[in-house]
Amino acid sequence: MWRTRLHLLHMLTGILIAVLLGIHMVIQHLDAVLRFFGATTTDPTSWGSMIARASQGIWVALYIALLAFLLYHALYGLRGVILEVTTSVKLERIITWSFIIIGIIVFIWGAYVPVVLLSS
Amino acid sequence: MKQIRPRQNYLGAGGWVWAGNYKLERYLYILHRVTGLGMLFFVIFHLIETTFFRIQGQDVWEATMALLQNPWFEVGIYLVAVAFVYHALNGLRLILQEFGFFLGKPTPPIYPYKDALRKKRPWTLAMVAVIVILALVFLLNFII
Repeated sequence: MWRTRLHLLHMLTGILIAVLLGIHMVIQHLDAVLRFFGATTTDPTSWGSMIARASQGIWVALYIALLAFLLYHALYGLRGVILEVTTSVKLERIITWSFIIIGIIVFIWGAYVPVVLLSS
Repeated sequence: MKQIRPRQNYLGAGGWVWAGNYKLERYLYILHRVTGLGMLFFVIFHLIETTFFRIQGQDVWEATMALLQNPWFEVGIYLVAVAFVYHALNGLRLILQEFGFFLGKPTPPIYPYKDALRKKRPWTLAMVAVIVILALVFLLNFII
């Protein structure tokens, strides 16, 4: 039963990532197109533009939420790919738990810097 | 007595690239997997860039961004953007089809009947068209 829950969560995080990463992609990679249609955006990769976003709580919250959804979605997906070729339940359990640990470590690593930048 | 061997059609790692006589959807599936793994690979470098380099201040950040102005990196970043568009829209198709949308009304199975995959195919082709259009919009942004 819990396995179907994990799969549902995979689909749910997929939709949430599509929204959050969609925002990220439009800002980062459609800036010239947006300017063509009259928007006044600066270069999104410039230090000033980046810090302006990093000092707003809502942006930091969205990016940390994106990181959490993305880590779950990516690691669950990779686990699914690997579990297609594993043959022992024990090995599958080891993979599952190591992915959980990797996910938690990477989340702390990735969420630390935006929080530091927000509070500085 | 001969032992029954289950999973005779088990393809193992070979199934990652070829899994029988399927058409469009099978290749969309492979591309979904390739783009997913590719973006996971990218995210590792993206996290290094936005943590270790970003925390070191403006000079290091600007040097990193100058490095990413390299045309080869530009091509790579464009491919990641297209991979995102593809993975998102194909994933949306998979979710909708898993829940039974786009299946149409039930029809009696009188030959020549359409199987479920072919009933859904016009929507699949429409999705491919949207992906191509969005990929071109992103390409426009990288050119202008």
